[in-house]
Amino acid sequence: MSILEVKDLTKTFKKTPVIKGISFDMAEGEILGILGPNGAGKTTTLQMLLGILTPTSGSVNVFGLSMPKHKSEILESMNFSSTYTDLPWRLTVKENLIWTSYLYNIEDRSRRLDKIKSIFRLEKLWNRATASLSAGQRTRVNLARAYVNFPRLLLLDEPTASLDPEVAIYMREFFMNQRQRFNTSIILTSHNMAEVESLCDRVLILKDGLIVGNDTPKSLAKQIEDTRLNLRITKNLAGLTKLLTSRHLRSETVGGITAITVKESLLPIFLYEITKNNIHYSEISIDKPTLEDYFLKIAKGGSNEAL
Amino acid sequence: MKLYRIWGIALRYLFLFRHSLDRLSDAFFWPVVDLVMWGLTSRFFVSTIGGDNHIILALLGGIILWIFPWRGQYEISVNLLEDLWNRNLVNLFVSPILFIEWIATLLLLGVLKSLISFSFAGLLAYLLYRANIFVLGWLLLPWGALLILFGWVFGLLIAGIVMRYGTRIQTLAWTAIYMIAPFCAVYYSVETLPVWAQTVTHFVPASYVFEAMRATISGNTVPLTALIWPTILCLIYFALAALMIRRSFLHILKRGLISVE
Repeated sequence: MSILEVKDLTKTFKKTPVIKGISFDMAEGEILGILGPNGAGKTTTLQMLLGILTPTSGSVNVFGLSMPKHKSEILESMNFSSTYTDLPWRLTVKENLIWTSYLYNIEDRSRRLDKIKSIFRLEKLWNRATASLSAGQRTRVNLARAYVNFPRLLLLDEPTASLDPEVAIYMREFFMNQRQRFNTSIILTSHNMAEVESLCDRVLILKDGLIVGNDTPKSLAKQIEDTRLNLRITKNLAGLTKLLTSRHLRSETVGGITAITVKESLLPIFLYEITKNNIHYSEISIDKPTLEDYFLKIAKGGSNEAL
Repeated sequence: MKLYRIWGIALRYLFLFRHSLDRLSDAFFWPVVDLVMWGLTSRFFVSTIGGDNHIILALLGGIILWIFPWRGQYEISVNLLEDLWNRNLVNLFVSPILFIEWIATLLLLGVLKSLISFSFAGLLAYLLYRANIFVLGWLLLPWGALLILFGWVFGLLIAGIVMRYGTRIQTLAWTAIYMIAPFCAVYYSVETLPVWAQTVTHFVPASYVFEAMRATISGNTVPLTALIWPTILCLIYFALAALMIRRSFLHILKRGLISVE
Protein backbone atom coordinates (compact mmCIF):
# COMPACT_ATOMS: atom_id res chain seq x y z
CA MET A 1 0.00 0.00 0.00
CA SER A 2 1.26 3.43 -0.93
CA ILE A 3 1.61 5.84 2.00
CA LEU A 4 3.07 8.68 -0.02
CA GLU A 5 2.14 9.83 -3.49
CA VAL A 6 3.82 12.78 -5.13
CA LYS A 7 2.47 13.91 -8.49
CA ASP A 8 3.94 16.48 -10.87
CA LEU A 9 5.42 18.48 -8.01
CA THR A 10 7.05 21.75 -9.01
CA LYS A 11 8.61 24.62 -7.12
CA THR A 12 9.77 27.88 -8.60
CA PHE A 13 11.63 30.53 -6.62
CA LYS A 14 11.51 33.96 -8.23
CA LYS A 15 11.01 32.54 -11.72
CA THR A 16 13.80 29.97 -11.19
CA PRO A 17 12.43 26.42 -11.33
CA VAL A 18 14.00 24.35 -8.56
CA ILE A 19 11.76 21.28 -8.72
CA LYS A 20 10.54 20.57 -12.23
CA GLY A 21 7.57 18.24 -12.00
CA ILE A 22 8.64 15.19 -10.05
CA SER A 23 6.41 12.19 -9.33
CA PHE A 24 7.08 9.24 -7.08
CA ASP A 25 5.41 7.12 -4.48
CA MET A 26 6.42 5.10 -1.48
CA ALA A 27 5.15 1.88 0.05
CA GLU A 28 4.46 1.43 3.74
CA GLY A 29 7.59 0.15 5.48
CA GLU A 30 9.89 1.23 2.67
CA ILE A 31 13.15 3.07 3.27
CA LEU A 32 13.68 5.53 0.45
CA GLY A 33 16.87 7.49 -0.08
CA ILE A 34 16.95 10.81 -1.90
CA LEU A 35 20.35 11.62 -3.30
CA GLY A 36 21.59 14.44 -5.41
CA PRO A 37 24.36 16.99 -5.72
CA ASN A 38 24.08 20.22 -3.71
CA GLY A 39 21.25 22.35 -5.05
CA ALA A 40 19.51 19.38 -6.69
CA GLY A 41 16.32 20.07 -4.71
CA LYS A 42 16.47 17.43 -1.93
CA THR A 43 15.69 19.75 0.98
CA THR A 44 13.11 21.62 -1.10
CA THR A 45 11.34 18.33 -1.77
CA LEU A 46 11.42 17.32 1.89
CA GLN A 47 10.01 20.71 2.90
CA MET A 48 7.10 20.29 0.48
CA LEU A 49 6.41 16.80 1.80
CA LEU A 50 6.22 18.27 5.31
CA GLY A 51 3.95 21.15 4.33
CA ILE A 52 6.43 23.83 5.36
CA LEU A 53 6.95 24.98 1.78
CA THR A 54 4.09 25.63 -0.60
CA PRO A 55 4.55 23.89 -3.97
CA THR A 56 4.06 25.95 -7.11
CA SER A 57 1.99 23.11 -8.56
CA GLY A 58 1.41 19.40 -8.14
CA SER A 59 0.14 17.34 -5.26
CA VAL A 60 1.43 15.51 -2.20
CA ASN A 61 -0.72 12.84 -0.55
CA VAL A 62 0.40 11.25 2.69
CA PHE A 63 -1.54 8.35 4.29
CA GLY A 64 -4.18 9.02 1.62
CA LEU A 65 -4.66 12.60 2.83
CA SER A 66 -3.82 15.70 0.90
CA MET A 67 -0.98 17.93 2.12
CA PRO A 68 -1.26 20.76 3.19
CA LYS A 69 -5.04 20.58 3.52
CA HIS A 70 -4.79 17.86 6.21
CA LYS A 71 -1.37 18.96 7.48
CA SER A 72 -2.13 18.70 11.17
CA GLU A 73 -3.69 15.24 10.85
CA ILE A 74 -0.81 13.97 8.73
CA LEU A 75 1.89 15.35 11.00
CA GLU A 76 0.44 13.50 14.01
CA SER A 77 2.00 10.38 12.42
CA MET A 78 4.94 11.90 10.62
CA ASN A 79 8.13 13.57 11.81
CA PHE A 80 11.36 15.14 10.63
CA SER A 81 14.92 15.52 11.80
CA SER A 82 17.47 17.72 10.12
CA THR A 83 20.83 19.30 10.54
CA TYR A 84 19.12 22.56 9.51
CA THR A 85 17.16 22.76 12.73
CA ASP A 86 18.01 23.04 16.40
CA LEU A 87 16.12 22.74 19.61
CA PRO A 88 15.94 25.69 22.03
CA TRP A 89 19.49 25.92 23.39
CA ARG A 90 18.76 27.06 26.88
CA LEU A 91 16.35 24.26 27.67
CA THR A 92 17.55 20.93 28.99
CA VAL A 93 17.21 17.80 26.87
CA LYS A 94 14.42 16.62 29.18
CA GLU A 95 12.51 19.91 28.87
CA ASN A 96 12.87 19.91 25.09
CA LEU A 97 11.44 16.43 24.83
CA ILE A 98 8.65 17.21 27.29
CA TRP A 99 7.32 20.25 25.45
CA THR A 100 7.69 18.51 22.11
CA SER A 101 5.76 15.50 23.39
CA TYR A 102 2.80 17.76 24.20
CA LEU A 103 2.47 18.68 20.54
CA TYR A 104 1.30 15.11 19.90
CA ASN A 105 -1.61 13.23 21.31
CA ILE A 106 0.47 10.74 23.33
CA GLU A 107 -1.31 8.67 25.93
CA ASP A 108 1.33 7.57 28.42
CA ARG A 109 3.71 10.49 28.10
CA SER A 110 6.17 9.70 30.88
CA ARG A 111 6.55 6.08 29.78
CA ARG A 112 7.11 7.22 26.20
CA LEU A 113 9.80 9.67 27.28
CA ASP A 114 11.55 7.01 29.38
CA LYS A 115 11.58 4.76 26.35
CA ILE A 116 12.97 7.49 24.12
CA LYS A 117 15.62 8.27 26.74
CA SER A 118 16.81 4.69 26.76
CA ILE A 119 16.61 4.10 22.97
CA PHE A 120 18.67 7.19 22.19
CA ARG A 121 21.02 6.70 25.16
CA LEU A 122 20.19 10.07 26.64
CA GLU A 123 20.46 9.16 30.33
CA LYS A 124 23.63 11.16 30.92
CA LEU A 125 22.45 14.11 28.84
CA TRP A 126 18.93 14.25 30.26
CA ASN A 127 19.37 17.27 32.52
CA ARG A 128 22.00 19.08 30.48
CA ALA A 129 21.27 22.30 28.58
CA THR A 130 21.01 21.62 24.85
CA ALA A 131 23.58 24.36 24.22
CA SER A 132 26.22 22.41 26.16
CA LEU A 133 25.98 19.33 23.93
CA SER A 134 28.43 18.37 21.21
CA ALA A 135 27.23 18.33 17.58
CA GLY A 136 26.85 14.56 17.67
CA GLN A 137 24.91 14.62 20.93
CA ARG A 138 22.63 17.32 19.53
CA THR A 139 21.96 15.21 16.44
CA ARG A 140 20.98 12.37 18.76
CA VAL A 141 18.59 14.61 20.69
CA ASN A 142 17.12 15.86 17.41
CA LEU A 143 16.51 12.28 16.34
CA ALA A 144 14.94 11.53 19.71
CA ARG A 145 12.64 14.52 19.23
CA ALA A 146 11.63 13.21 15.82
CA TYR A 147 10.79 9.84 17.37
CA VAL A 148 8.69 11.21 20.19
CA ASN A 149 5.43 10.39 18.35
CA PHE A 150 6.73 7.03 17.01
CA PRO A 151 5.99 8.21 13.46
CA ARG A 152 4.67 6.01 10.67
CA LEU A 153 6.66 8.10 8.24
CA LEU A 154 9.95 9.67 9.22
CA LEU A 155 11.89 12.17 7.11
CA LEU A 156 15.58 12.41 7.89
CA ASP A 157 17.90 15.00 6.45
CA GLU A 158 21.48 13.79 6.98
CA PRO A 159 20.47 11.69 10.00
CA THR A 160 23.85 10.41 11.08
CA ALA A 161 25.97 13.44 10.14
CA SER A 162 28.28 14.35 13.03
CA LEU A 163 27.53 11.15 14.95
CA ASP A 164 30.55 9.10 15.93
CA PRO A 165 30.81 5.82 13.97
CA GLU A 166 29.66 3.61 16.83
CA VAL A 167 26.51 5.68 17.44
CA ALA A 168 25.89 6.01 13.68
CA ILE A 169 25.91 2.21 13.34
CA TYR A 170 23.64 1.92 16.37
CA MET A 171 21.20 4.42 14.82
CA ARG A 172 21.20 2.65 11.47
CA GLU A 173 20.40 -0.63 13.23
CA PHE A 174 17.69 1.18 15.15
CA PHE A 175 16.05 2.45 11.94
CA MET A 176 16.11 -1.05 10.43
CA ASN A 177 14.71 -2.48 13.62
CA GLN A 178 11.88 0.09 13.69
CA ARG A 179 10.98 -0.82 10.15
CA GLN A 180 10.96 -4.53 10.99
CA ARG A 181 8.91 -4.17 14.16
CA PHE A 182 6.54 -1.33 13.31
CA ASN A 183 6.73 -1.09 9.54
CA THR A 184 8.03 2.49 9.89
CA SER A 185 8.65 4.16 6.54
CA ILE A 186 11.69 6.38 6.23
CA ILE A 187 12.83 8.92 3.67
CA LEU A 188 16.40 10.00 4.10
CA THR A 189 18.88 12.24 2.41
CA SER A 190 22.53 11.62 3.08
CA HIS A 191 25.94 12.17 1.61
CA ASN A 192 27.09 8.91 3.11
CA MET A 193 26.66 6.53 0.18
CA ALA A 194 27.53 3.43 2.19
CA GLU A 195 24.76 4.37 4.61
CA VAL A 196 22.23 4.83 1.81
CA GLU A 197 23.31 1.56 0.21
CA SER A 198 22.93 -0.39 3.44
CA LEU A 199 19.69 1.25 4.61
CA CYS A 200 17.60 2.04 1.58
CA ASP A 201 15.34 -0.26 -0.39
CA ARG A 202 15.17 2.29 -3.16
CA VAL A 203 16.98 5.46 -4.12
CA LEU A 204 15.76 8.52 -5.98
CA ILE A 205 18.47 10.51 -7.66
CA LEU A 206 17.63 14.18 -8.05
CA LYS A 207 19.51 16.45 -10.37
CA ASP A 208 18.57 20.00 -11.28
CA GLY A 209 15.08 19.46 -9.92
CA LEU A 210 14.41 16.27 -11.87
CA ILE A 211 14.42 12.59 -10.90
CA VAL A 212 17.18 11.07 -13.00
CA GLY A 213 17.39 7.74 -11.21
CA ASN A 214 14.83 5.66 -9.31
CA ASP A 215 15.80 2.11 -8.44
CA THR A 216 17.39 -0.12 -5.81
CA PRO A 217 20.96 0.86 -4.87
CA LYS A 218 22.24 -2.36 -6.48
CA SER A 219 20.47 -1.76 -9.78
CA LEU A 220 21.69 1.83 -9.92
CA ALA A 221 25.26 0.73 -9.25
CA LYS A 222 24.96 -1.90 -11.99
CA GLN A 223 24.40 0.87 -14.51
CA ILE A 224 28.08 1.68 -14.10
CA GLU A 225 30.04 -0.66 -16.35
CA ASP A 226 33.54 0.00 -15.08
CA THR A 227 35.16 -2.08 -12.35
CA ARG A 228 38.56 -1.65 -10.75
CA LEU A 229 40.98 -4.53 -10.92
CA ASN A 230 43.79 -4.19 -8.34
CA LEU A 231 46.97 -6.19 -8.88
CA ARG A 232 50.35 -6.40 -7.15
CA ILE A 233 52.57 -7.27 -10.08
CA THR A 234 55.57 -9.49 -9.31
CA LYS A 235 56.76 -10.26 -12.87
CA ASN A 236 56.56 -8.66 -16.34
CA LEU A 237 55.32 -5.16 -15.49
CA ALA A 238 56.42 -4.08 -18.95
CA GLY A 239 54.15 -6.71 -20.46
CA LEU A 240 51.25 -5.33 -18.48
CA THR A 241 51.99 -1.76 -19.64
CA LYS A 242 52.02 -2.98 -23.23
CA LEU A 243 48.77 -4.85 -22.75
CA LEU A 244 47.07 -1.81 -21.18
CA THR A 245 48.20 0.40 -24.05
CA SER A 246 46.96 -2.02 -26.68
CA ARG A 247 43.58 -2.33 -24.94
CA HIS A 248 43.30 1.46 -24.24
CA LEU A 249 42.77 0.86 -20.53
CA ARG A 250 43.37 3.41 -17.76
CA SER A 251 45.48 2.53 -14.75
CA GLU A 252 47.29 4.04 -11.81
CA THR A 253 49.85 2.60 -9.43
CA VAL A 254 49.85 3.51 -5.77
CA GLY A 255 51.91 1.70 -3.13
CA GLY A 256 52.87 -1.10 -5.50
CA ILE A 257 49.25 -1.83 -6.41
CA THR A 258 48.20 -1.22 -9.99
CA ALA A 259 44.54 -0.31 -10.28
CA ILE A 260 43.11 -0.92 -13.73
CA THR A 261 39.72 0.37 -14.86
CA VAL A 262 38.04 -2.22 -17.02
CA LYS A 263 34.47 -2.95 -18.10
CA GLU A 264 32.92 -5.67 -15.94
CA SER A 265 31.92 -7.75 -18.97
CA LEU A 266 35.51 -7.76 -20.27
CA LEU A 267 37.11 -8.73 -16.97
CA PRO A 268 37.38 -12.54 -17.62
CA ILE A 269 39.01 -11.99 -21.01
CA PHE A 270 41.41 -9.44 -19.58
CA LEU A 271 42.45 -11.81 -16.76
CA TYR A 272 43.01 -14.54 -19.33
CA GLU A 273 45.23 -12.20 -21.38
CA ILE A 274 47.30 -11.36 -18.30
CA THR A 275 48.00 -15.05 -17.72
CA LYS A 276 48.66 -15.61 -21.43
CA ASN A 277 51.24 -12.77 -21.43
CA ASN A 278 53.09 -14.39 -18.52
CA ILE A 279 52.35 -11.48 -16.17
CA HIS A 280 52.55 -12.63 -12.57
CA TYR A 281 50.88 -11.09 -9.56
CA SER A 282 50.84 -11.86 -5.84
CA GLU A 283 47.64 -10.03 -4.85
CA ILE A 284 44.36 -9.48 -6.66
CA SER A 285 41.12 -7.72 -5.72
CA ILE A 286 38.14 -6.41 -7.68
CA ASP A 287 36.15 -3.31 -6.73
CA LYS A 288 32.67 -3.64 -8.15
CA PRO A 289 30.82 -0.41 -9.02
CA THR A 290 28.98 1.12 -6.08
CA LEU A 291 26.16 3.60 -5.64
CA GLU A 292 28.84 6.22 -5.06
CA ASP A 293 30.28 5.58 -8.54
CA TYR A 294 26.80 5.98 -10.00
CA PHE A 295 26.22 9.14 -7.97
CA LEU A 296 29.56 10.62 -9.06
CA LYS A 297 28.75 9.88 -12.68
CA ILE A 298 25.40 11.68 -12.32
CA ALA A 299 26.90 14.58 -10.37
CA LYS A 300 29.57 15.07 -13.02
CA GLY A 301 26.89 15.41 -15.66
CA GLY A 302 26.27 11.81 -16.62
CA SER A 303 22.53 12.09 -17.06
CA ASN A 304 20.05 14.88 -17.26
CA GLU A 305 17.22 12.79 -18.56
CA ALA A 306 14.17 12.74 -16.35
CA LEU A 307 12.57 9.39 -15.57
CA MET B 1 -7.61 24.01 18.22
CA LYS B 2 -6.22 21.44 20.64
CA LEU B 3 -5.46 22.47 24.20
CA TYR B 4 -2.66 19.93 24.67
CA ARG B 5 -0.77 21.49 21.77
CA ILE B 6 -1.25 25.00 23.14
CA TRP B 7 0.04 23.76 26.50
CA GLY B 8 3.04 22.19 24.75
CA ILE B 9 4.07 25.46 23.10
CA ALA B 10 3.40 27.38 26.32
CA LEU B 11 5.67 24.97 28.21
CA ARG B 12 8.46 25.67 25.73
CA TYR B 13 8.34 29.39 26.53
CA LEU B 14 7.75 28.90 30.25
CA PHE B 15 10.81 26.63 30.51
CA LEU B 16 12.77 29.32 28.73
CA PHE B 17 11.50 31.96 31.14
CA ARG B 18 12.85 29.86 34.01
CA HIS B 19 16.31 29.57 32.42
CA SER B 20 16.77 33.09 31.09
CA LEU B 21 18.01 35.82 33.32
CA ASP B 22 17.31 38.36 30.59
CA ARG B 23 13.66 37.31 30.33
CA LEU B 24 13.28 37.35 34.11
CA SER B 25 14.83 40.81 34.27
CA ASP B 26 12.41 42.00 31.58
CA ALA B 27 9.53 40.94 33.77
CA PHE B 28 10.83 42.34 37.05
CA PHE B 29 13.91 44.53 36.64
CA TRP B 30 12.54 47.21 34.32
CA PRO B 31 9.32 47.75 36.28
CA VAL B 32 11.49 48.25 39.39
CA VAL B 33 13.75 50.74 37.60
CA ASP B 34 10.80 52.70 36.21
CA LEU B 35 8.98 52.77 39.52
CA VAL B 36 12.04 53.92 41.48
CA MET B 37 13.05 56.60 38.97
CA TRP B 38 9.61 57.99 38.23
CA GLY B 39 8.35 57.57 41.77
CA LEU B 40 11.24 59.59 43.18
CA THR B 41 10.94 62.18 40.40
CA SER B 42 7.24 62.70 41.05
CA ARG B 43 7.87 62.88 44.79
CA PHE B 44 10.50 65.56 44.15
CA PHE B 45 8.07 67.60 42.05
CA VAL B 46 5.32 67.26 44.62
CA SER B 47 7.65 68.39 47.42
CA THR B 48 9.19 71.35 45.52
CA ILE B 49 6.45 72.59 43.23
CA GLY B 50 3.51 71.42 45.28
CA GLY B 51 0.48 69.35 44.48
CA ASP B 52 -0.96 66.28 46.00
CA ASN B 53 -0.31 62.59 45.99
CA HIS B 54 -2.62 62.21 42.99
CA ILE B 55 0.27 63.26 40.80
CA ILE B 56 2.41 60.45 42.14
CA LEU B 57 -0.41 57.93 41.65
CA ALA B 58 -1.14 59.24 38.13
CA LEU B 59 2.50 58.85 37.11
CA LEU B 60 2.96 55.49 38.75
CA GLY B 61 -0.43 54.38 37.41
CA GLY B 62 0.83 55.26 33.94
CA ILE B 63 3.97 53.20 34.45
CA ILE B 64 2.07 50.24 35.83
CA LEU B 65 -0.68 50.23 33.18
CA TRP B 66 1.90 50.65 30.41
CA ILE B 67 3.10 47.18 31.39
CA PHE B 68 0.03 45.72 29.64
CA PRO B 69 0.69 46.89 26.07
CA TRP B 70 4.46 46.59 26.53
CA ARG B 71 4.40 42.97 27.77
CA GLY B 72 1.58 42.02 25.42
CA GLN B 73 3.64 43.16 22.43
CA TYR B 74 7.00 42.02 23.77
CA GLU B 75 5.98 38.41 24.45
CA ILE B 76 4.76 37.89 20.89
CA SER B 77 7.71 39.43 19.09
CA VAL B 78 10.52 38.23 21.37
CA ASN B 79 9.19 34.67 21.54
CA LEU B 80 9.14 34.60 17.75
CA LEU B 81 12.73 35.87 17.75
CA GLU B 82 13.73 33.15 20.23
CA ASP B 83 12.49 30.55 17.76
CA LEU B 84 14.37 32.20 14.92
CA TRP B 85 17.61 32.47 16.94
CA ASN B 86 17.27 28.81 17.95
CA ARG B 87 16.35 27.67 14.42
CA ASN B 88 13.32 26.11 16.07
CA LEU B 89 10.53 27.39 13.83
CA VAL B 90 10.81 24.34 11.60
CA ASN B 91 10.61 22.00 14.61
CA LEU B 92 7.39 23.72 15.62
CA PHE B 93 5.73 23.54 12.24
CA VAL B 94 6.69 19.98 11.35
CA SER B 95 4.56 19.06 14.34
CA PRO B 96 0.74 19.03 14.11
CA ILE B 97 0.37 22.52 15.60
CA LEU B 98 -1.75 24.97 13.70
CA PHE B 99 -0.62 28.51 13.06
CA ILE B 100 -3.60 29.80 15.04
CA GLU B 101 -2.63 27.63 18.03
CA TRP B 102 0.86 29.08 18.03
CA ILE B 103 -0.46 32.64 17.86
CA ALA B 104 -3.06 31.91 20.56
CA THR B 105 -0.28 30.66 22.84
CA LEU B 106 1.79 33.78 22.32
CA LEU B 107 -1.22 35.98 23.05
CA LEU B 108 -2.09 34.06 26.21
CA LEU B 109 1.52 34.16 27.43
CA GLY B 110 1.40 37.93 26.92
CA VAL B 111 -1.60 38.10 29.23
CA LEU B 112 0.00 35.85 31.83
CA LYS B 113 3.27 37.72 31.94
CA SER B 114 1.50 41.10 31.88
CA LEU B 115 -0.46 40.05 34.93
CA ILE B 116 2.70 38.85 36.72
CA SER B 117 4.58 42.10 35.99
CA PHE B 118 1.51 44.23 36.71
CA SER B 119 0.87 42.61 40.09
CA PHE B 120 4.53 42.84 41.01
CA ALA B 121 4.73 46.51 40.02
CA GLY B 122 1.44 47.33 41.76
CA LEU B 123 2.69 45.77 44.98
CA LEU B 124 6.04 47.52 44.71
CA ALA B 125 4.41 50.92 44.12
CA TYR B 126 2.40 50.42 47.29
CA LEU B 127 5.41 49.32 49.33
CA LEU B 128 7.66 52.15 48.12
CA TYR B 129 5.24 55.09 47.88
CA ARG B 130 1.98 53.93 49.44
CA ALA B 131 0.51 54.49 45.99
CA ASN B 132 -2.25 51.92 45.61
CA ILE B 133 -3.17 51.37 41.96
CA PHE B 134 -5.73 48.79 43.06
CA VAL B 135 -7.98 51.55 44.48
CA LEU B 136 -9.08 51.93 40.88
CA GLY B 137 -10.84 48.63 41.48
CA TRP B 138 -12.77 46.83 38.76
CA LEU B 139 -12.05 49.61 36.25
CA LEU B 140 -8.60 48.06 35.90
CA LEU B 141 -10.22 45.08 34.17
CA PRO B 142 -11.60 46.82 31.04
CA TRP B 143 -8.60 49.17 30.91
CA GLY B 144 -6.12 46.31 31.25
CA ALA B 145 -7.99 44.26 28.65
CA LEU B 146 -8.00 47.13 26.15
CA LEU B 147 -4.30 47.83 26.71
CA ILE B 148 -3.40 44.16 26.28
CA LEU B 149 -5.38 44.09 23.04
CA PHE B 150 -3.44 47.17 21.95
CA GLY B 151 -0.16 45.41 22.82
CA TRP B 152 -1.24 42.33 20.84
CA VAL B 153 -1.82 44.52 17.78
CA PHE B 154 1.78 45.71 17.92
CA GLY B 155 3.09 42.26 18.75
CA LEU B 156 1.39 40.72 15.73
CA LEU B 157 2.48 43.54 13.45
CA ILE B 158 6.11 43.31 14.51
CA ALA B 159 6.11 39.51 14.38
CA GLY B 160 4.65 39.69 10.87
CA ILE B 161 7.35 42.11 9.74
CA VAL B 162 10.16 40.07 11.37
CA MET B 163 8.84 36.88 9.76
CA ARG B 164 8.91 38.53 6.37
CA TYR B 165 12.21 40.37 6.60
CA GLY B 166 14.11 38.26 9.13
CA THR B 167 16.14 39.03 12.23
CA ARG B 168 18.01 41.92 10.61
CA ILE B 169 15.16 44.14 11.76
CA GLN B 170 14.78 42.44 15.12
CA THR B 171 15.38 45.67 17.01
CA LEU B 172 11.74 46.53 16.27
CA ALA B 173 10.77 43.99 18.91
CA TRP B 174 12.17 46.27 21.62
CA THR B 175 11.60 49.68 20.10
CA ALA B 176 8.45 49.73 17.96
CA ILE B 177 5.95 50.26 20.73
CA TYR B 178 7.92 53.26 22.01
CA MET B 179 7.33 54.95 18.65
CA ILE B 180 3.63 55.16 19.49
CA ALA B 181 4.18 55.78 23.23
CA PRO B 182 4.18 59.61 22.95
CA PHE B 183 0.71 59.42 21.38
CA CYS B 184 -0.53 57.12 24.14
CA ALA B 185 -0.20 59.99 26.66
CA VAL B 186 1.01 57.58 29.32
CA TYR B 187 2.39 60.16 31.78
CA TYR B 188 0.73 63.40 30.66
CA SER B 189 -2.61 64.67 29.47
CA VAL B 190 -3.46 64.58 25.77
CA GLU B 191 -3.85 68.38 25.91
CA THR B 192 -0.11 68.65 26.58
CA LEU B 193 0.59 67.46 23.04
CA PRO B 194 0.73 69.75 20.00
CA VAL B 195 -2.58 70.03 18.14
CA TRP B 196 -1.56 67.73 15.26
CA ALA B 197 -0.45 65.09 17.75
CA GLN B 198 -3.74 65.42 19.63
CA THR B 199 -5.49 64.50 16.38
CA VAL B 200 -3.31 61.40 16.13
CA THR B 201 -4.28 60.35 19.67
CA HIS B 202 -7.91 60.06 18.56
CA PHE B 203 -6.81 56.95 16.67
CA VAL B 204 -4.64 55.55 19.45
CA PRO B 205 -6.85 53.43 21.75
CA ALA B 206 -4.34 53.43 24.63
CA SER B 207 -4.59 57.23 24.98
CA TYR B 208 -8.26 56.91 26.03
CA VAL B 209 -7.34 54.51 28.82
CA PHE B 210 -4.59 56.72 30.27
CA GLU B 211 -6.88 59.76 30.07
CA ALA B 212 -9.62 57.81 31.86
CA MET B 213 -7.14 56.67 34.52
CA ARG B 214 -5.99 60.23 35.27
CA ALA B 215 -9.56 61.49 35.36
CA THR B 216 -10.56 58.75 37.79
CA ILE B 217 -7.56 59.43 40.04
CA SER B 218 -8.56 63.13 40.10
CA GLY B 219 -11.98 62.10 41.36
CA ASN B 220 -13.97 62.39 38.12
CA THR B 221 -16.22 59.65 36.88
CA VAL B 222 -15.49 58.25 33.46
CA PRO B 223 -18.39 56.27 32.01
CA LEU B 224 -17.56 52.90 30.54
CA THR B 225 -19.14 54.04 27.29
CA ALA B 226 -16.04 56.23 26.83
CA LEU B 227 -14.20 53.00 25.99
CA ILE B 228 -16.55 51.96 23.17
CA TRP B 229 -14.77 53.90 20.42
CA PRO B 230 -11.22 52.86 21.44
CA THR B 231 -12.42 49.25 21.77
CA ILE B 232 -13.87 49.32 18.25
CA LEU B 233 -10.67 50.89 16.97
CA CYS B 234 -8.56 48.27 18.73
CA LEU B 235 -10.64 45.40 17.37
CA ILE B 236 -10.27 46.77 13.83
CA TYR B 237 -6.49 47.10 14.33
CA PHE B 238 -6.35 43.60 15.80
CA ALA B 239 -8.21 42.12 12.84
CA LEU B 240 -5.86 43.91 10.43
CA ALA B 241 -2.76 42.80 12.38
CA ALA B 242 -4.02 39.20 12.48
CA LEU B 243 -4.59 39.33 8.74
CA MET B 244 -1.15 40.78 8.22
CA ILE B 245 0.68 38.08 10.24
CA ARG B 246 -1.33 35.38 8.49
CA ARG B 247 -0.25 36.80 5.14
CA SER B 248 3.36 36.95 6.32
CA PHE B 249 3.19 33.29 7.36
CA LEU B 250 1.74 32.27 3.98
CA HIS B 251 4.46 34.35 2.35
CA ILE B 252 7.26 32.53 4.20
CA LEU B 253 5.64 29.19 3.40
CA LYS B 254 6.14 30.12 -0.25
CA ARG B 255 9.82 30.79 0.48
CA GLY B 256 10.25 27.84 2.81
CA LEU B 257 10.29 27.89 6.58
CA ILE B 258 13.92 26.74 6.65
CA SER B 259 14.95 29.93 4.86
CA VAL B 260 13.59 32.23 7.58
CA GLU B 261 16.35 33.58 9.78
